[in-house]
Amino acid sequence: MTRYTSLLEAFGDTPLVGLPRLSPRWDGENPVRLWAKLEDRNPTGSIKDRAALAMVRAAEADGRLTPGCTILEPTSGNTGISLAMVAKLRGYGLVCVMPENTSVERRQLLEMFGARIIFSPAAGGSNQAVATAKQLAEQNPDWVMLYQYGNPANAQAHYEGTGPELLRDLPTITHFVAGLGTTGTLMGTGRYLREKVPDVQIIAAEPRYGELVYGLRNIDEGFVPELYDDSVLTSRFSVTSYDALRRTRELIEHEGIFAGVSTGAILHAALAVADRLATKDPADQSSRADIAFIVADGGWKYLSTGAYSGSLQQAAERLEGQLWA
Amino acid sequence: MAIEVKIPTILRTYTGGAKSVEAKGDTLLAVIDDLDGNHPGLKGRLITDEGALHRFVNVYVNDEDVRFTGALDTELKDGDSVTILPAVAGG
Repeated sequence: MTRYTSLLEAFGDTPLVGLPRLSPRWDGENPVRLWAKLEDRNPTGSIKDRAALAMVRAAEADGRLTPGCTILEPTSGNTGISLAMVAKLRGYGLVCVMPENTSVERRQLLEMFGARIIFSPAAGGSNQAVATAKQLAEQNPDWVMLYQYGNPANAQAHYEGTGPELLRDLPTITHFVAGLGTTGTLMGTGRYLREKVPDVQIIAAEPRYGELVYGLRNIDEGFVPELYDDSVLTSRFSVTSYDALRRTRELIEHEGIFAGVSTGAILHAALAVADRLATKDPADQSSRADIAFIVADGGWKYLSTGAYSGSLQQAAERLEGQLWA
Repeated sequence: MAIEVKIPTILRTYTGGAKSVEAKGDTLLAVIDDLDGNHPGLKGRLITDEGALHRFVNVYVNDEDVRFTGALDTELKDGDSVTILPAVAGG
Protein backbone atom coordinates (compact mmCIF):
# COMPACT_ATOMS: atom_id res chain seq x y z
CA MET A 1 0.00 0.00 0.00
CA THR A 2 1.54 3.31 -1.01
CA ARG A 3 -1.42 5.62 -0.26
CA TYR A 4 -1.28 7.68 2.94
CA THR A 5 -3.68 10.09 4.64
CA SER A 6 -0.90 12.60 5.36
CA LEU A 7 2.80 13.20 4.83
CA LEU A 8 3.32 12.23 8.47
CA GLU A 9 2.27 8.69 7.60
CA ALA A 10 4.55 8.47 4.57
CA PHE A 11 7.89 8.03 6.26
CA GLY A 12 10.25 5.12 6.91
CA ASP A 13 10.08 1.80 5.08
CA THR A 14 12.89 3.02 2.85
CA PRO A 15 14.48 0.92 0.08
CA LEU A 16 17.59 -1.16 0.68
CA VAL A 17 19.64 -1.37 -2.51
CA GLY A 18 22.68 -3.48 -3.33
CA LEU A 19 25.95 -1.98 -4.54
CA PRO A 20 27.26 -4.64 -6.94
CA ARG A 21 30.03 -2.40 -8.30
CA LEU A 22 31.44 -1.02 -5.05
CA SER A 23 31.18 -4.31 -3.14
CA PRO A 24 34.53 -6.14 -3.00
CA ARG A 25 32.90 -9.50 -3.90
CA TRP A 26 29.28 -9.45 -4.98
CA ASP A 27 28.97 -13.04 -6.24
CA GLY A 28 30.30 -16.42 -5.22
CA GLU A 29 29.82 -18.74 -2.27
CA ASN A 30 31.04 -16.25 0.37
CA PRO A 31 30.26 -12.78 -0.95
CA VAL A 32 31.25 -9.50 0.72
CA ARG A 33 28.30 -7.30 -0.19
CA LEU A 34 27.36 -3.70 0.55
CA TRP A 35 23.74 -2.55 0.87
CA ALA A 36 22.58 1.07 1.05
CA LYS A 37 19.45 2.05 2.99
CA LEU A 38 18.10 5.10 1.22
CA GLU A 39 16.96 7.34 4.07
CA ASP A 40 16.88 10.32 1.73
CA ARG A 41 13.50 8.90 0.63
CA ASN A 42 11.85 10.27 3.78
CA PRO A 43 9.46 13.27 3.56
CA THR A 44 12.07 16.03 4.06
CA GLY A 45 14.89 14.03 2.53
CA SER A 46 16.81 12.74 5.54
CA ILE A 47 16.87 10.02 8.17
CA LYS A 48 16.05 12.67 10.80
CA ASP A 49 12.36 12.55 9.88
CA ARG A 50 12.14 9.35 11.90
CA ALA A 51 13.54 10.88 15.09
CA ALA A 52 11.70 14.19 14.71
CA LEU A 53 8.32 12.57 14.32
CA ALA A 54 8.96 10.11 17.16
CA MET A 55 10.09 12.88 19.54
CA VAL A 56 7.04 15.03 18.75
CA ARG A 57 4.64 12.11 19.17
CA ALA A 58 6.24 11.16 22.49
CA ALA A 59 6.00 14.74 23.77
CA GLU A 60 2.36 14.94 22.69
CA ALA A 61 1.61 11.64 24.42
CA ASP A 62 3.14 12.72 27.73
CA GLY A 63 1.44 16.13 27.60
CA ARG A 64 4.58 18.27 27.23
CA LEU A 65 3.50 19.49 23.80
CA THR A 66 0.08 21.07 23.50
CA PRO A 67 -1.41 22.99 20.54
CA GLY A 68 0.32 26.31 19.93
CA CYS A 69 3.51 25.37 21.80
CA THR A 70 6.94 26.46 20.56
CA ILE A 71 9.57 23.76 20.08
CA LEU A 72 13.24 24.60 20.62
CA GLU A 73 16.05 22.44 19.24
CA PRO A 74 19.83 22.64 18.73
CA THR A 75 20.60 21.19 15.30
CA SER A 76 23.19 21.32 12.55
CA GLY A 77 20.33 21.21 10.05
CA ASN A 78 18.58 17.97 9.18
CA THR A 79 16.77 17.50 12.49
CA GLY A 80 15.68 21.12 12.29
CA ILE A 81 14.24 20.66 8.80
CA SER A 82 12.41 17.49 9.86
CA LEU A 83 11.02 19.18 12.97
CA ALA A 84 9.99 22.22 10.93
CA MET A 85 7.86 20.03 8.68
CA VAL A 86 6.31 18.12 11.58
CA ALA A 87 5.75 21.34 13.57
CA LYS A 88 3.99 22.94 10.60
CA LEU A 89 1.64 20.00 10.12
CA ARG A 90 0.96 19.58 13.86
CA GLY A 91 0.54 23.29 14.61
CA TYR A 92 3.64 24.22 16.60
CA GLY A 93 6.21 26.98 16.34
CA LEU A 94 9.88 26.05 15.99
CA VAL A 95 13.07 27.78 17.05
CA CYS A 96 16.28 26.13 15.82
CA VAL A 97 19.70 26.90 17.25
CA MET A 98 22.14 26.19 14.43
CA PRO A 99 25.89 26.77 14.06
CA GLU A 100 26.56 29.56 11.54
CA ASN A 101 28.95 27.31 9.56
CA THR A 102 26.24 25.17 7.98
CA SER A 103 25.18 25.18 4.32
CA VAL A 104 22.94 27.96 3.01
CA GLU A 105 20.42 25.42 1.73
CA ARG A 106 19.67 24.34 5.28
CA ARG A 107 18.86 27.89 6.31
CA GLN A 108 16.68 28.44 3.25
CA LEU A 109 14.74 25.24 3.87
CA LEU A 110 14.20 26.06 7.53
CA GLU A 111 12.99 29.56 6.70
CA MET A 112 10.67 28.22 4.00
CA PHE A 113 9.08 25.88 6.53
CA GLY A 114 8.56 28.86 8.83
CA ALA A 115 11.15 28.06 11.49
CA ARG A 116 13.02 30.78 13.34
CA ILE A 117 16.80 30.33 13.34
CA ILE A 118 19.12 31.52 16.08
CA PHE A 119 22.73 31.16 15.00
CA SER A 120 25.48 30.02 17.33
CA PRO A 121 29.14 30.87 16.65
CA ALA A 122 31.04 28.68 14.18
CA ALA A 123 33.84 28.06 16.68
CA GLY A 124 32.81 25.14 18.83
CA GLY A 125 30.42 23.71 16.23
CA SER A 126 27.39 21.86 17.50
CA ASN A 127 28.68 21.89 21.09
CA GLN A 128 28.08 25.61 21.09
CA ALA A 129 24.60 25.19 19.57
CA VAL A 130 23.70 22.77 22.37
CA ALA A 131 25.00 25.16 25.03
CA THR A 132 23.12 28.11 23.50
CA ALA A 133 19.89 26.10 23.27
CA LYS A 134 20.16 25.11 26.93
CA GLN A 135 20.52 28.77 27.90
CA LEU A 136 17.49 29.71 25.78
CA ALA A 137 15.47 26.92 27.37
CA GLU A 138 16.17 28.40 30.81
CA GLN A 139 15.22 31.90 29.66
CA ASN A 140 12.03 30.68 27.94
CA PRO A 141 10.43 28.10 30.23
CA ASP A 142 7.34 27.85 28.02
CA TRP A 143 9.38 26.56 25.06
CA VAL A 144 9.67 22.79 24.75
CA MET A 145 13.16 21.49 23.98
CA LEU A 146 12.90 17.97 22.55
CA TYR A 147 16.70 17.61 22.79
CA GLN A 148 17.63 14.96 20.24
CA TYR A 149 20.92 14.16 22.03
CA GLY A 150 19.19 12.82 25.13
CA ASN A 151 15.63 12.02 24.03
CA PRO A 152 15.00 8.24 24.19
CA ALA A 153 12.31 8.59 21.47
CA ASN A 154 15.13 9.39 19.01
CA ALA A 155 16.81 5.99 19.49
CA GLN A 156 13.46 4.25 19.90
CA ALA A 157 12.39 5.38 16.40
CA HIS A 158 15.28 3.33 15.03
CA TYR A 159 14.72 0.42 17.40
CA GLU A 160 11.15 0.17 16.12
CA GLY A 161 11.69 1.26 12.51
CA THR A 162 15.15 1.18 10.97
CA GLY A 163 16.25 -2.01 12.76
CA PRO A 164 13.26 -4.22 11.93
CA GLU A 165 13.19 -2.93 8.33
CA LEU A 166 16.84 -3.90 7.88
CA LEU A 167 16.41 -7.38 9.29
CA ARG A 168 13.26 -7.95 7.19
CA ASP A 169 15.04 -6.89 4.00
CA LEU A 170 18.43 -8.46 4.78
CA PRO A 171 18.04 -11.49 7.08
CA THR A 172 21.71 -12.36 6.42
CA ILE A 173 22.97 -9.00 7.75
CA THR A 174 26.40 -9.22 9.45
CA HIS A 175 27.35 -5.52 9.78
CA PHE A 176 25.50 -2.24 10.24
CA VAL A 177 27.26 1.07 9.59
CA ALA A 178 25.86 4.54 10.31
CA GLY A 179 26.91 8.06 11.21
CA LEU A 180 27.52 9.06 14.80
CA GLY A 181 25.96 12.42 15.65
CA THR A 182 23.23 12.30 18.24
CA THR A 183 23.98 8.55 18.25
CA GLY A 184 20.23 7.80 17.98
CA THR A 185 20.45 5.81 14.73
CA LEU A 186 23.30 3.60 15.98
CA MET A 187 21.90 3.11 19.49
CA GLY A 188 18.37 2.18 18.37
CA THR A 189 19.21 0.11 15.30
CA GLY A 190 22.27 -1.37 17.00
CA ARG A 191 20.33 -2.56 20.06
CA TYR A 192 17.63 -4.12 17.90
CA LEU A 193 20.09 -5.98 15.67
CA ARG A 194 22.19 -7.16 18.62
CA GLU A 195 19.09 -8.73 20.15
CA LYS A 196 18.22 -10.56 16.93
CA VAL A 197 21.49 -11.30 15.13
CA PRO A 198 24.31 -13.12 16.94
CA ASP A 199 27.73 -11.47 16.42
CA VAL A 200 26.37 -8.60 14.35
CA GLN A 201 28.92 -5.79 14.07
CA ILE A 202 27.73 -2.23 14.77
CA ILE A 203 30.09 0.33 13.25
CA ALA A 204 30.10 4.09 13.71
CA ALA A 205 31.49 6.69 11.30
CA GLU A 206 32.01 10.16 12.69
CA PRO A 207 33.12 13.25 10.81
CA ARG A 208 36.58 14.65 11.38
CA TYR A 209 36.19 18.36 10.85
CA GLY A 210 38.61 21.20 10.39
CA GLU A 211 40.22 22.64 13.49
CA LEU A 212 37.73 25.47 13.92
CA VAL A 213 35.03 23.03 14.94
CA TYR A 214 37.17 21.69 17.76
CA GLY A 215 37.86 25.19 19.07
CA LEU A 216 36.86 24.53 22.67
CA ARG A 217 38.40 26.50 25.50
CA ASN A 218 39.15 23.37 27.48
CA ILE A 219 38.63 19.63 27.28
CA ASP A 220 35.83 19.74 29.85
CA GLU A 221 33.68 21.61 27.33
CA GLY A 222 33.62 18.41 25.26
CA PHE A 223 30.30 16.76 24.62
CA VAL A 224 29.09 13.18 24.59
CA PRO A 225 25.36 12.77 23.88
CA GLU A 226 23.37 11.38 26.80
CA LEU A 227 21.98 8.69 24.44
CA TYR A 228 25.46 7.30 23.74
CA ASP A 229 26.30 3.87 25.15
CA ASP A 230 29.56 2.57 23.73
CA SER A 231 28.70 -1.04 24.59
CA VAL A 232 26.30 -1.02 21.61
CA LEU A 233 29.15 -0.40 19.14
CA THR A 234 31.88 -2.74 17.98
CA SER A 235 34.05 -0.17 16.22
CA ARG A 236 34.17 3.53 15.47
CA PHE A 237 35.96 5.38 12.67
CA SER A 238 36.84 9.05 12.31
CA VAL A 239 36.63 10.12 8.66
CA THR A 240 38.20 13.21 7.11
CA SER A 241 36.34 15.54 4.76
CA TYR A 242 38.62 14.37 1.95
CA ASP A 243 37.76 10.68 2.39
CA ALA A 244 34.07 11.47 2.86
CA LEU A 245 34.01 13.47 -0.38
CA ARG A 246 35.97 10.82 -2.25
CA ARG A 247 33.44 8.14 -1.30
CA THR A 248 30.48 10.43 -1.97
CA ARG A 249 31.74 10.83 -5.52
CA GLU A 250 32.43 7.11 -5.92
CA LEU A 251 28.85 6.41 -4.89
CA ILE A 252 27.59 8.57 -7.76
CA GLU A 253 30.15 7.35 -10.28
CA HIS A 254 29.77 3.61 -9.70
CA GLU A 255 26.27 3.17 -8.30
CA GLY A 256 24.38 6.29 -9.38
CA ILE A 257 23.48 7.33 -5.84
CA PHE A 258 23.64 11.09 -5.18
CA ALA A 259 24.18 11.32 -1.43
CA GLY A 260 25.24 13.93 1.10
CA VAL A 261 28.77 14.19 2.46
CA SER A 262 28.13 12.31 5.71
CA THR A 263 27.05 9.29 3.68
CA GLY A 264 30.50 9.32 2.07
CA ALA A 265 32.02 9.06 5.56
CA ILE A 266 29.72 6.14 6.38
CA LEU A 267 30.63 4.38 3.11
CA HIS A 268 34.31 4.93 3.89
CA ALA A 269 33.95 3.04 7.18
CA ALA A 270 31.85 0.33 5.49
CA LEU A 271 34.52 -0.17 2.83
CA ALA A 272 37.29 -0.30 5.45
CA VAL A 273 35.50 -3.27 7.00
CA ALA A 274 34.56 -4.85 3.66
CA ASP A 275 38.09 -4.62 2.26
CA ARG A 276 39.54 -6.33 5.36
CA LEU A 277 37.13 -9.24 4.92
CA ALA A 278 37.75 -9.47 1.19
CA THR A 279 41.46 -10.10 1.72
CA LYS A 280 40.53 -13.45 3.28
CA ASP A 281 40.34 -16.61 1.17
CA PRO A 282 37.01 -16.56 -0.74
CA ALA A 283 36.53 -20.21 0.32
CA ASP A 284 36.71 -19.14 4.00
CA GLN A 285 33.15 -18.97 5.28
CA SER A 286 34.08 -16.34 7.86
CA SER A 287 34.72 -13.87 5.03
CA ARG A 288 31.02 -13.80 4.06
CA ALA A 289 29.47 -10.44 4.88
CA ASP A 290 26.30 -8.49 4.23
CA ILE A 291 27.10 -4.94 5.26
CA ALA A 292 24.18 -2.51 5.43
CA PHE A 293 24.87 1.20 5.71
CA ILE A 294 22.78 4.34 5.94
CA VAL A 295 22.41 6.92 3.19
CA ALA A 296 21.53 9.72 5.62
CA ASP A 297 20.46 12.31 3.05
CA GLY A 298 20.79 13.32 -0.59
CA GLY A 299 23.44 15.67 -1.94
CA TRP A 300 21.09 18.53 -2.75
CA LYS A 301 21.66 20.51 0.44
CA TYR A 302 25.44 20.57 -0.10
CA LEU A 303 25.67 21.81 -3.70
CA SER A 304 26.53 25.34 -2.57
CA THR A 305 29.49 24.07 -0.54
CA GLY A 306 31.28 23.05 -3.74
CA ALA A 307 31.49 19.43 -2.58
CA TYR A 308 30.55 18.15 -6.03
CA SER A 309 32.67 20.34 -8.28
CA GLY A 310 36.37 20.71 -8.97
CA SER A 311 39.09 18.40 -7.71
CA LEU A 312 38.69 16.45 -4.48
CA GLN A 313 41.43 18.50 -2.84
CA GLN A 314 39.74 21.78 -3.78
CA ALA A 315 36.37 20.51 -2.58
CA ALA A 316 37.86 19.31 0.73
CA GLU A 317 39.48 22.70 1.26
CA ARG A 318 36.16 24.44 0.64
CA LEU A 319 34.54 22.22 3.27
CA GLU A 320 37.17 23.16 5.87
CA GLY A 321 35.38 24.73 8.81
CA GLN A 322 31.92 23.65 7.57
CA LEU A 323 29.66 21.22 9.40
CA TRP A 324 28.64 18.51 6.95
CA ALA A 325 26.96 15.94 9.16
CA MET B 1 59.77 3.09 16.36
CA ALA B 2 58.30 6.41 15.27
CA ILE B 3 54.64 7.20 15.73
CA GLU B 4 53.14 10.47 14.51
CA VAL B 5 50.78 12.02 17.07
CA LYS B 6 48.38 14.76 15.96
CA ILE B 7 47.64 17.26 18.72
CA PRO B 8 44.36 19.23 18.86
CA THR B 9 44.50 23.03 19.09
CA ILE B 10 43.38 22.94 22.69
CA LEU B 11 46.42 20.90 23.83
CA ARG B 12 49.12 22.62 21.76
CA THR B 13 50.18 24.72 24.72
CA TYR B 14 51.97 21.53 25.81
CA THR B 15 53.77 21.04 22.48
CA GLY B 16 54.97 24.61 21.94
CA GLY B 17 52.25 25.07 19.35
CA ALA B 18 53.21 22.01 17.28
CA LYS B 19 50.28 20.39 15.43
CA SER B 20 52.00 17.06 15.26
CA VAL B 21 54.83 15.49 17.23
CA GLU B 22 56.72 12.20 17.13
CA ALA B 23 56.69 9.67 19.93
CA LYS B 24 57.92 6.16 20.60
CA GLY B 25 56.20 3.11 22.05
CA ASP B 26 54.58 -0.17 21.08
CA THR B 27 51.29 0.51 22.86
CA LEU B 28 49.17 3.66 23.13
CA LEU B 29 50.03 3.96 26.82
CA ALA B 30 53.75 3.74 26.07
CA VAL B 31 53.37 6.46 23.42
CA ILE B 32 51.49 8.71 25.85
CA ASP B 33 54.16 8.14 28.51
CA ASP B 34 56.85 9.01 25.97
CA LEU B 35 54.90 12.14 24.97
CA ASP B 36 54.61 13.20 28.58
CA GLY B 37 58.38 12.89 28.96
CA ASN B 38 58.91 15.46 26.21
CA HIS B 39 55.79 17.52 26.88
CA PRO B 40 55.17 17.35 30.65
CA GLY B 41 51.52 17.59 31.70
CA LEU B 42 50.03 16.19 28.51
CA LYS B 43 49.29 12.77 29.99
CA GLY B 44 47.23 14.31 32.78
CA ARG B 45 44.94 15.92 30.18
CA LEU B 46 44.33 12.63 28.37
CA ILE B 47 44.13 10.07 31.16
CA THR B 48 42.16 10.25 34.41
CA ASP B 49 43.54 9.51 37.87
CA GLU B 50 41.89 6.10 37.56
CA GLY B 51 44.00 5.36 34.48
CA ALA B 52 41.28 5.52 31.81
CA LEU B 53 40.96 7.85 28.84
CA HIS B 54 39.24 11.11 29.78
CA ARG B 55 35.53 10.99 28.83
CA PHE B 56 35.79 14.01 26.53
CA VAL B 57 38.97 12.88 24.77
CA ASN B 58 38.87 10.64 21.71
CA VAL B 59 42.01 8.94 20.45
CA TYR B 60 42.25 7.29 17.06
CA VAL B 61 44.93 5.02 15.64
CA ASN B 62 44.83 5.26 11.85
CA ASP B 63 41.29 6.68 12.10
CA GLU B 64 39.92 3.91 14.35
CA ASP B 65 38.73 4.82 17.89
CA VAL B 66 41.02 3.07 20.40
CA ARG B 67 38.14 2.45 22.82
CA PHE B 68 37.19 -0.42 20.49
CA THR B 69 40.69 -1.71 19.77
CA GLY B 70 42.07 -2.26 23.29
CA ALA B 71 42.03 1.31 24.65
CA LEU B 72 45.41 2.23 26.20
CA ASP B 73 46.71 -1.28 25.43
CA THR B 74 46.14 -0.81 21.69
CA GLU B 75 49.25 -2.03 19.90
CA LEU B 76 51.10 0.29 17.57
CA LYS B 77 53.57 -0.34 14.81
CA ASP B 78 56.06 1.82 12.99
CA GLY B 79 54.35 4.34 10.75
CA ASP B 80 51.02 4.32 12.61
CA SER B 81 49.35 7.64 13.15
CA VAL B 82 47.67 8.65 16.42
CA THR B 83 45.08 11.45 16.40
CA ILE B 84 43.79 13.08 19.58
CA LEU B 85 40.52 15.05 19.39
CA PRO B 86 38.08 16.52 21.88
CA ALA B 87 34.57 15.01 21.80
CA VAL B 88 32.12 17.24 19.92
CA ALA B 89 28.43 16.99 19.08
CA GLY B 90 26.96 16.10 15.70
CA GLY B 91 23.36 15.93 14.52
